[in-house]
Amino acid sequence: MINLDEQQNIFMRIAEKLPKRIEVYAIGGTAMMFLGLKDKTLDVDIVFLNATDRKIFKDTAKLLDFEDTSAEIVYGKRDNAPEMVKISDVRLDLFLFKIISSYFSTGMQKRAMQTHDFIGKLIIRIASPSDILVMKSATARQKDDEDIISIIKENKANWEIIVKESEEQVMLGNESAVLSLGTRFERLKNEKKVEIPKEVLDKLWKILKKQTGKNKLKSL
Amino acid sequence: MAQINKFELAKKLKGFNTLKMIESALNLDRTKAIYLIHKLRKEGYVKTKYLSSKKRIYYISPKNVLKGTSYTEVINKQSPIKIMETDEYNIYGREVSIEEALIYALNKRSVRYTVALLGLFRKITSWSKLYNIAKKDNLIREVVALYDVARKILPKLKRMPKRFRNLAKPKKNESYKYIIDGFKSMNFEDIEKKWKVYIPLNWDDLSEYEGVNK
Repeated sequence: MINLDEQQNIFMRIAEKLPKRIEVYAIGGTAMMFLGLKDKTLDVDIVFLNATDRKIFKDTAKLLDFEDTSAEIVYGKRDNAPEMVKISDVRLDLFLFKIISSYFSTGMQKRAMQTHDFIGKLIIRIASPSDILVMKSATARQKDDEDIISIIKENKANWEIIVKESEEQVMLGNESAVLSLGTRFERLKNEKKVEIPKEVLDKLWKILKKQTGKNKLKSL
Repeated sequence: MAQINKFELAKKLKGFNTLKMIESALNLDRTKAIYLIHKLRKEGYVKTKYLSSKKRIYYISPKNVLKGTSYTEVINKQSPIKIMETDEYNIYGREVSIEEALIYALNKRSVRYTVALLGLFRKITSWSKLYNIAKKDNLIREVVALYDVARKILPKLKRMPKRFRNLAKPKKNESYKYIIDGFKSMNFEDIEKKWKVYIPLNWDDLSEYEGVNK
Protein backbone atom coordinates (compact mmCIF):
# COMPACT_ATOMS: atom_id res chain seq x y z
CA MET A 1 0.00 0.00 0.00
CA ILE A 2 1.13 3.55 -0.69
CA ASN A 3 -0.11 6.72 1.01
CA LEU A 4 -0.48 10.24 -0.38
CA ASP A 5 2.82 11.42 1.01
CA GLU A 6 4.76 8.53 -0.53
CA GLN A 7 2.89 8.97 -3.79
CA GLN A 8 3.86 12.65 -3.95
CA ASN A 9 7.48 11.79 -3.23
CA ILE A 10 7.57 9.28 -6.08
CA PHE A 11 6.08 11.78 -8.53
CA MET A 12 8.53 14.44 -7.39
CA ARG A 13 11.53 12.14 -7.79
CA ILE A 14 10.40 11.10 -11.27
CA ALA A 15 9.69 14.73 -12.26
CA GLU A 16 13.21 15.74 -11.21
CA LYS A 17 14.70 13.17 -13.59
CA LEU A 18 12.31 13.57 -16.54
CA PRO A 19 14.11 14.83 -19.65
CA LYS A 20 10.99 16.65 -20.90
CA ARG A 21 7.60 17.92 -19.76
CA ILE A 22 5.01 15.17 -19.72
CA GLU A 23 1.26 15.38 -19.17
CA VAL A 24 -0.55 12.36 -17.78
CA TYR A 25 -3.87 11.49 -16.17
CA ALA A 26 -4.29 9.87 -12.77
CA ILE A 27 -7.14 7.39 -12.43
CA GLY A 28 -8.36 4.87 -9.86
CA GLY A 29 -7.02 4.95 -6.32
CA THR A 30 -4.29 7.43 -7.24
CA ALA A 31 -6.88 9.95 -8.42
CA MET A 32 -9.07 9.26 -5.39
CA MET A 33 -6.17 10.06 -3.07
CA PHE A 34 -5.61 13.40 -4.78
CA LEU A 35 -9.35 14.07 -4.46
CA GLY A 36 -9.26 13.32 -0.73
CA LEU A 37 -11.49 10.28 -1.08
CA LYS A 38 -8.97 7.64 -0.06
CA ASP A 39 -5.84 7.55 2.07
CA LYS A 40 -4.00 4.56 0.61
CA THR A 41 -3.89 2.65 -2.63
CA LEU A 42 -2.40 -0.60 -3.86
CA ASP A 43 -0.98 0.75 -7.09
CA VAL A 44 -0.41 4.03 -8.89
CA ASP A 45 -2.57 4.13 -12.03
CA ILE A 46 -1.54 6.55 -14.75
CA VAL A 47 -2.92 7.03 -18.26
CA PHE A 48 -0.79 8.32 -21.12
CA LEU A 49 -2.12 9.60 -24.40
CA ASN A 50 0.97 8.68 -26.38
CA ALA A 51 3.45 5.82 -26.33
CA THR A 52 6.55 8.05 -26.42
CA ASP A 53 5.62 9.80 -23.18
CA ARG A 54 4.92 6.47 -21.53
CA LYS A 55 8.34 5.14 -22.60
CA ILE A 56 10.10 8.27 -21.32
CA PHE A 57 8.23 8.04 -18.00
CA LYS A 58 8.99 4.34 -17.63
CA ASP A 59 12.69 4.78 -18.48
CA THR A 60 12.90 7.61 -15.93
CA ALA A 61 11.28 5.45 -13.26
CA LYS A 62 13.86 2.76 -14.01
CA LEU A 63 16.62 5.29 -13.33
CA LEU A 64 15.16 5.44 -9.82
CA ASP A 65 15.52 1.67 -9.41
CA PHE A 66 12.00 0.74 -10.45
CA GLU A 67 12.01 -2.62 -12.21
CA ASP A 68 9.90 -4.08 -14.99
CA THR A 69 7.18 -6.39 -13.84
CA SER A 70 4.70 -8.46 -15.79
CA ALA A 71 1.15 -7.18 -16.15
CA GLU A 72 -0.04 -10.69 -17.00
CA ILE A 73 -0.08 -11.75 -13.35
CA VAL A 74 -2.43 -8.91 -12.43
CA TYR A 75 -4.47 -8.37 -15.58
CA GLY A 76 -4.13 -11.69 -17.42
CA LYS A 77 -3.30 -11.90 -21.12
CA ARG A 78 -4.92 -8.78 -22.55
CA ASP A 79 -4.02 -6.44 -25.38
CA ASN A 80 -4.66 -3.36 -23.29
CA ALA A 81 -2.85 -4.36 -20.14
CA PRO A 82 -0.62 -1.60 -18.79
CA GLU A 83 3.14 -1.60 -18.69
CA MET A 84 4.22 -1.99 -15.10
CA VAL A 85 7.23 -1.08 -13.00
CA LYS A 86 7.76 -1.87 -9.36
CA ILE A 87 9.95 -0.93 -6.43
CA SER A 88 9.51 -2.78 -3.12
CA ASP A 89 5.69 -2.83 -2.71
CA VAL A 90 4.98 0.21 -4.89
CA ARG A 91 3.69 -0.57 -8.36
CA LEU A 92 3.12 1.88 -11.19
CA ASP A 93 0.54 0.78 -13.78
CA LEU A 94 1.12 2.75 -16.97
CA PHE A 95 -1.86 2.61 -19.31
CA LEU A 96 -2.01 3.89 -22.86
CA PHE A 97 -5.40 5.53 -23.62
CA LYS A 98 -7.28 2.29 -22.93
CA ILE A 99 -7.69 0.98 -19.39
CA ILE A 100 -8.41 -2.72 -19.89
CA SER A 101 -11.93 -2.41 -21.35
CA SER A 102 -12.58 1.30 -20.69
CA TYR A 103 -11.40 4.13 -22.92
CA PHE A 104 -10.03 7.35 -21.50
CA SER A 105 -12.39 9.37 -23.68
CA THR A 106 -12.01 13.04 -24.65
CA GLY A 107 -14.91 13.80 -22.29
CA MET A 108 -12.97 12.23 -19.43
CA GLN A 109 -9.89 14.24 -20.40
CA LYS A 110 -11.88 17.49 -20.37
CA ARG A 111 -13.45 16.74 -17.01
CA ALA A 112 -10.05 16.14 -15.40
CA MET A 113 -10.05 19.64 -13.92
CA GLN A 114 -7.72 19.21 -10.97
CA THR A 115 -4.06 19.54 -11.90
CA HIS A 116 -0.88 18.74 -9.98
CA ASP A 117 2.27 20.25 -11.42
CA PHE A 118 5.55 18.73 -10.26
CA ILE A 119 8.28 21.32 -10.94
CA GLY A 120 6.73 22.02 -14.34
CA LYS A 121 7.98 18.67 -15.66
CA LEU A 122 5.30 16.20 -14.67
CA ILE A 123 1.76 17.48 -15.04
CA ILE A 124 -0.82 15.14 -13.56
CA ARG A 125 -4.49 15.75 -14.28
CA ILE A 126 -6.93 14.00 -12.01
CA ALA A 127 -9.86 12.09 -13.49
CA SER A 128 -13.22 13.30 -12.20
CA PRO A 129 -14.93 11.17 -9.52
CA SER A 130 -17.78 10.30 -11.91
CA ASP A 131 -15.33 9.02 -14.50
CA ILE A 132 -13.41 7.05 -11.88
CA LEU A 133 -16.72 5.44 -10.97
CA VAL A 134 -17.45 4.51 -14.61
CA MET A 135 -13.98 2.96 -14.99
CA LYS A 136 -14.24 1.10 -11.69
CA SER A 137 -17.62 -0.34 -12.60
CA ALA A 138 -16.01 -2.03 -15.62
CA THR A 139 -13.96 -4.30 -13.38
CA ALA A 140 -15.17 -7.34 -11.52
CA ARG A 141 -13.03 -6.67 -8.45
CA GLN A 142 -14.85 -6.58 -5.12
CA LYS A 143 -12.45 -4.00 -3.70
CA ASP A 144 -13.71 -1.49 -6.28
CA ASP A 145 -17.15 -1.66 -4.62
CA GLU A 146 -15.78 0.28 -1.65
CA ASP A 147 -14.38 2.99 -3.90
CA ILE A 148 -17.64 3.30 -5.84
CA ILE A 149 -19.58 3.54 -2.56
CA SER A 150 -17.16 6.15 -1.23
CA ILE A 151 -17.64 8.33 -4.35
CA ILE A 152 -21.42 8.09 -4.08
CA LYS A 153 -21.48 8.69 -0.32
CA GLU A 154 -19.29 11.79 -0.65
CA ASN A 155 -21.80 13.19 -3.16
CA LYS A 156 -19.15 13.23 -5.86
CA ALA A 157 -21.16 11.24 -8.38
CA ASN A 158 -22.68 13.30 -11.16
CA TRP A 159 -25.34 10.91 -12.43
CA GLU A 160 -25.88 12.71 -15.71
CA ILE A 161 -22.18 12.48 -16.57
CA ILE A 162 -22.06 8.83 -15.49
CA VAL A 163 -24.93 7.86 -17.80
CA LYS A 164 -23.58 9.91 -20.72
CA GLU A 165 -20.05 8.56 -20.30
CA SER A 166 -21.23 4.97 -20.21
CA GLU A 167 -23.02 5.63 -23.51
CA GLU A 168 -19.84 7.20 -24.88
CA GLN A 169 -17.87 4.13 -23.81
CA VAL A 170 -20.21 1.94 -25.88
CA MET A 171 -19.74 4.25 -28.86
CA LEU A 172 -15.97 3.93 -28.48
CA GLY A 173 -16.19 0.14 -28.53
CA ASN A 174 -16.55 -0.83 -24.89
CA GLU A 175 -19.78 -2.69 -25.60
CA SER A 176 -20.35 -3.94 -22.07
CA ALA A 177 -19.97 -0.52 -20.37
CA VAL A 178 -23.68 0.13 -19.79
CA LEU A 179 -24.37 -3.46 -18.80
CA SER A 180 -21.49 -3.52 -16.29
CA LEU A 181 -22.50 -0.21 -14.78
CA GLY A 182 -26.18 -1.12 -14.53
CA THR A 183 -25.50 -4.52 -12.99
CA ARG A 184 -22.99 -3.07 -10.52
CA PHE A 185 -25.44 -0.36 -9.46
CA GLU A 186 -28.29 -2.86 -9.05
CA ARG A 187 -26.08 -5.10 -6.91
CA LEU A 188 -24.84 -2.23 -4.75
CA LYS A 189 -28.39 -0.97 -4.32
CA ASN A 190 -29.78 -4.36 -3.35
CA GLU A 191 -26.92 -5.82 -1.35
CA LYS A 192 -25.29 -2.77 0.22
CA LYS A 193 -28.24 -0.39 0.26
CA VAL A 194 -26.33 2.27 -1.66
CA GLU A 195 -28.56 5.14 -2.73
CA ILE A 196 -28.67 5.13 -6.50
CA PRO A 197 -31.53 7.11 -8.07
CA LYS A 198 -34.12 4.94 -9.80
CA GLU A 199 -34.10 7.24 -12.84
CA VAL A 200 -30.41 6.50 -13.35
CA LEU A 201 -31.01 2.77 -13.42
CA ASP A 202 -34.03 3.22 -15.69
CA LYS A 203 -31.96 5.31 -18.08
CA LEU A 204 -29.17 2.74 -18.13
CA TRP A 205 -31.56 -0.16 -18.88
CA LYS A 206 -33.22 1.91 -21.58
CA ILE A 207 -29.87 2.53 -23.23
CA LEU A 208 -29.00 -1.14 -22.93
CA LYS A 209 -32.30 -2.14 -24.53
CA LYS A 210 -31.58 0.20 -27.42
CA GLN A 211 -28.06 -1.18 -27.69
CA THR A 212 -29.18 -4.81 -27.78
CA GLY A 213 -31.86 -3.91 -30.35
CA LYS A 214 -29.19 -2.41 -32.60
CA ASN A 215 -26.94 -5.43 -32.14
CA LYS A 216 -29.78 -7.76 -33.10
CA LEU A 217 -30.37 -5.73 -36.27
CA LYS A 218 -26.65 -5.91 -37.05
CA SER A 219 -26.60 -9.69 -36.67
CA LEU A 220 -29.52 -10.00 -39.09
CA MET B 1 -8.70 7.64 20.90
CA ALA B 2 -5.86 5.53 19.47
CA GLN B 3 -8.36 3.41 17.51
CA ILE B 4 -9.71 6.32 15.49
CA ASN B 5 -9.04 6.29 11.77
CA LYS B 6 -7.75 9.80 11.32
CA PHE B 7 -8.44 9.91 7.61
CA GLU B 8 -12.12 9.05 8.16
CA LEU B 9 -12.24 11.64 10.91
CA ALA B 10 -10.74 14.29 8.63
CA LYS B 11 -13.40 13.40 6.07
CA LYS B 12 -16.12 13.69 8.72
CA LEU B 13 -14.91 17.06 9.97
CA LYS B 14 -14.14 18.41 6.49
CA GLY B 15 -14.47 22.18 6.34
CA PHE B 16 -14.06 25.07 8.75
CA ASN B 17 -14.47 24.17 12.42
CA THR B 18 -14.18 25.91 15.73
CA LEU B 19 -13.25 23.96 18.83
CA LYS B 20 -16.88 24.12 19.94
CA MET B 21 -18.06 22.66 16.63
CA ILE B 22 -15.66 19.72 16.97
CA GLU B 23 -16.75 19.16 20.55
CA SER B 24 -20.40 18.95 19.59
CA ALA B 25 -19.86 17.02 16.32
CA LEU B 26 -17.99 14.24 18.09
CA ASN B 27 -19.53 14.64 21.51
CA LEU B 28 -16.18 15.26 23.19
CA ASP B 29 -15.08 17.50 26.01
CA ARG B 30 -12.72 20.41 25.33
CA THR B 31 -9.51 18.59 26.36
CA LYS B 32 -10.23 15.61 24.12
CA ALA B 33 -11.19 17.87 21.20
CA ILE B 34 -7.87 19.74 21.53
CA TYR B 35 -5.99 16.43 21.62
CA LEU B 36 -7.84 15.28 18.52
CA ILE B 37 -6.92 18.43 16.61
CA HIS B 38 -3.32 17.89 17.68
CA LYS B 39 -3.43 14.33 16.32
CA LEU B 40 -5.03 15.40 13.05
CA ARG B 41 -2.55 18.23 12.65
CA LYS B 42 0.32 15.78 13.10
CA GLU B 43 -1.04 13.83 10.10
CA GLY B 44 -1.27 17.03 8.07
CA TYR B 45 -5.08 17.31 7.96
CA VAL B 46 -5.42 20.62 9.84
CA LYS B 47 -4.67 24.19 8.80
CA THR B 48 -5.26 26.86 11.44
CA LYS B 49 -6.60 30.27 10.52
CA TYR B 50 -7.51 33.27 12.62
CA LEU B 51 -10.62 35.38 12.39
CA SER B 52 -10.45 39.14 12.75
CA SER B 53 -11.56 38.60 16.35
CA LYS B 54 -8.38 36.51 16.80
CA LYS B 55 -10.55 33.45 17.26
CA ARG B 56 -8.94 30.29 15.97
CA ILE B 57 -10.65 28.26 13.27
CA TYR B 58 -9.46 24.96 11.93
CA TYR B 59 -9.68 24.09 8.26
CA ILE B 60 -9.79 20.31 8.21
CA SER B 61 -9.52 18.35 4.97
CA PRO B 62 -7.93 15.09 3.82
CA LYS B 63 -6.47 17.16 0.99
CA ASN B 64 -4.43 19.31 3.38
CA VAL B 65 -1.84 16.54 3.27
CA LEU B 66 -0.92 17.64 -0.25
CA LYS B 67 2.29 19.62 0.04
CA GLY B 68 1.90 21.86 -2.98
CA THR B 69 0.73 25.44 -3.33
CA SER B 70 -2.16 26.36 -5.56
CA TYR B 71 -2.42 29.50 -7.70
CA THR B 72 -5.61 30.36 -5.85
CA GLU B 73 -3.76 30.26 -2.53
CA VAL B 74 -1.18 32.71 -3.89
CA ILE B 75 -3.89 35.00 -5.28
CA ASN B 76 -5.83 34.92 -2.01
CA LYS B 77 -2.68 35.64 -0.02
CA GLN B 78 -1.63 38.62 -2.12
CA SER B 79 -4.87 40.19 -3.36
CA PRO B 80 -7.40 41.96 -1.15
CA ILE B 81 -10.14 40.23 -3.17
CA LYS B 82 -10.51 36.58 -2.31
CA ILE B 83 -11.67 33.87 -4.67
CA MET B 84 -13.15 30.41 -4.30
CA GLU B 85 -11.16 27.62 -5.86
CA THR B 86 -13.05 26.13 -8.77
CA ASP B 87 -10.52 23.84 -10.36
CA GLU B 88 -7.41 23.22 -8.36
CA TYR B 89 -3.96 23.70 -9.81
CA ASN B 90 -1.34 22.59 -7.30
CA ILE B 91 2.35 23.19 -7.78
CA TYR B 92 5.05 21.14 -6.09
CA GLY B 93 8.77 21.66 -5.71
CA ARG B 94 8.93 25.34 -6.66
CA GLU B 95 7.58 28.66 -5.52
CA VAL B 96 4.75 30.24 -7.46
CA SER B 97 5.53 33.82 -8.45
CA ILE B 98 2.99 36.65 -8.33
CA GLU B 99 3.60 37.19 -12.04
CA GLU B 100 2.61 33.60 -12.83
CA ALA B 101 -0.43 33.83 -10.57
CA LEU B 102 -1.56 37.02 -12.33
CA ILE B 103 -1.42 35.38 -15.76
CA TYR B 104 -3.14 32.28 -14.38
CA ALA B 105 -5.98 34.48 -13.07
CA LEU B 106 -6.23 36.24 -16.43
CA ASN B 107 -6.40 32.92 -18.25
CA LYS B 108 -9.37 31.90 -16.11
CA ARG B 109 -11.44 34.43 -18.11
CA SER B 110 -13.82 35.07 -15.25
CA VAL B 111 -15.01 38.36 -13.74
CA ARG B 112 -14.12 37.36 -10.19
CA TYR B 113 -10.57 36.30 -11.11
CA THR B 114 -10.13 39.48 -13.18
CA VAL B 115 -11.22 41.65 -10.24
CA ALA B 116 -8.85 39.77 -7.91
CA LEU B 117 -5.86 39.98 -10.25
CA LEU B 118 -5.95 43.80 -10.20
CA GLY B 119 -4.76 43.65 -6.60
CA LEU B 120 -1.74 41.59 -7.67
CA PHE B 121 -0.24 44.48 -9.68
CA ARG B 122 0.77 46.00 -6.35
CA LYS B 123 2.97 42.98 -5.61
CA ILE B 124 4.75 42.67 -8.95
CA THR B 125 8.50 42.51 -8.40
CA SER B 126 9.69 41.66 -11.90
CA TRP B 127 8.01 43.41 -14.80
CA SER B 128 10.25 41.62 -17.29
CA LYS B 129 9.11 38.28 -15.88
CA LEU B 130 5.49 39.37 -16.20
CA TYR B 131 6.14 40.50 -19.78
CA ASN B 132 7.72 37.18 -20.74
CA ILE B 133 4.93 35.08 -19.23
CA ALA B 134 2.26 37.30 -20.79
CA LYS B 135 4.00 37.13 -24.17
CA LYS B 136 4.00 33.34 -24.05
CA ASP B 137 0.19 33.37 -23.74
CA ASN B 138 -0.27 36.36 -26.07
CA LEU B 139 -1.75 38.45 -23.27
CA ILE B 140 0.49 41.53 -23.26
CA ARG B 141 -2.26 43.97 -24.32
CA GLU B 142 -4.68 42.53 -21.78
CA VAL B 143 -2.11 42.91 -18.98
CA VAL B 144 -1.41 46.55 -19.79
CA ALA B 145 -5.11 47.38 -20.13
CA LEU B 146 -5.89 45.80 -16.75
CA TYR B 147 -2.91 47.57 -15.21
CA ASP B 148 -4.48 50.85 -16.31
CA VAL B 149 -7.72 49.83 -14.60
CA ALA B 150 -5.75 48.92 -11.47
CA ARG B 151 -4.12 52.37 -11.47
CA LYS B 152 -7.56 53.90 -11.20
CA ILE B 153 -8.42 51.98 -8.05
CA LEU B 154 -5.11 51.33 -6.28
CA PRO B 155 -3.37 54.39 -4.91
CA LYS B 156 0.42 54.67 -5.24
CA LEU B 157 0.64 51.72 -7.61
CA LYS B 158 4.17 51.21 -8.92
CA ARG B 159 4.67 52.47 -12.47
CA MET B 160 4.85 49.93 -15.22
CA PRO B 161 8.05 50.34 -17.27
CA LYS B 162 7.58 52.41 -20.43
CA ARG B 163 9.16 49.69 -22.52
CA PHE B 164 6.44 47.23 -21.43
CA ARG B 165 3.75 49.71 -22.47
CA ASN B 166 5.45 50.55 -25.76
CA LEU B 167 5.75 46.92 -26.70
CA ALA B 168 2.07 46.40 -25.88
CA LYS B 169 0.76 49.16 -28.15
CA PRO B 170 -1.72 47.72 -30.64
CA LYS B 171 -0.96 48.05 -34.33
CA LYS B 172 -3.39 49.91 -36.58
CA ASN B 173 -4.70 46.77 -38.24
CA GLU B 174 -5.10 44.86 -35.00
CA SER B 175 -8.64 44.13 -33.91
CA TYR B 176 -10.17 44.40 -30.43
CA LYS B 177 -9.64 41.49 -28.04
CA TYR B 178 -12.04 40.22 -25.41
CA ILE B 179 -10.83 39.13 -21.98
CA ILE B 180 -14.17 37.41 -21.46
CA ASP B 181 -16.12 36.73 -24.65
CA GLY B 182 -18.89 39.26 -25.17
CA PHE B 183 -18.07 41.36 -22.08
CA LYS B 184 -17.40 45.08 -22.61
CA SER B 185 -17.12 47.90 -20.13
CA MET B 186 -19.41 50.87 -19.77
CA ASN B 187 -16.93 52.70 -17.56
CA PHE B 188 -13.47 52.05 -18.95
CA GLU B 189 -13.99 52.82 -22.61
CA ASP B 190 -10.92 55.08 -22.73
CA ILE B 191 -8.69 52.17 -21.72
CA GLU B 192 -10.49 49.83 -24.10
CA LYS B 193 -9.88 52.23 -26.97
CA LYS B 194 -6.24 52.79 -26.09
CA TRP B 195 -5.25 49.12 -25.92
CA LYS B 196 -7.97 47.64 -28.14
CA VAL B 197 -8.96 45.30 -25.33
CA TYR B 198 -12.50 45.05 -23.98
CA ILE B 199 -12.49 45.30 -20.19
CA PRO B 200 -15.04 42.93 -18.62
CA LEU B 201 -15.51 45.23 -15.60
CA ASN B 202 -17.46 48.26 -14.52
CA TRP B 203 -17.01 50.40 -11.40
CA ASP B 204 -19.66 48.31 -9.66
CA ASP B 205 -17.51 45.21 -9.97
CA LEU B 206 -14.67 46.96 -8.16
CA SER B 207 -16.62 48.17 -5.16
CA GLU B 208 -14.84 45.68 -2.88
CA TYR B 209 -11.60 47.61 -3.31
CA GLU B 210 -11.18 50.10 -0.52
CA GLY B 211 -12.03 53.65 -1.50
CA VAL B 212 -13.70 52.74 -4.78
CA ASN B 213 -16.90 54.67 -5.26
CA LYS B 214 -18.86 54.74 -8.46
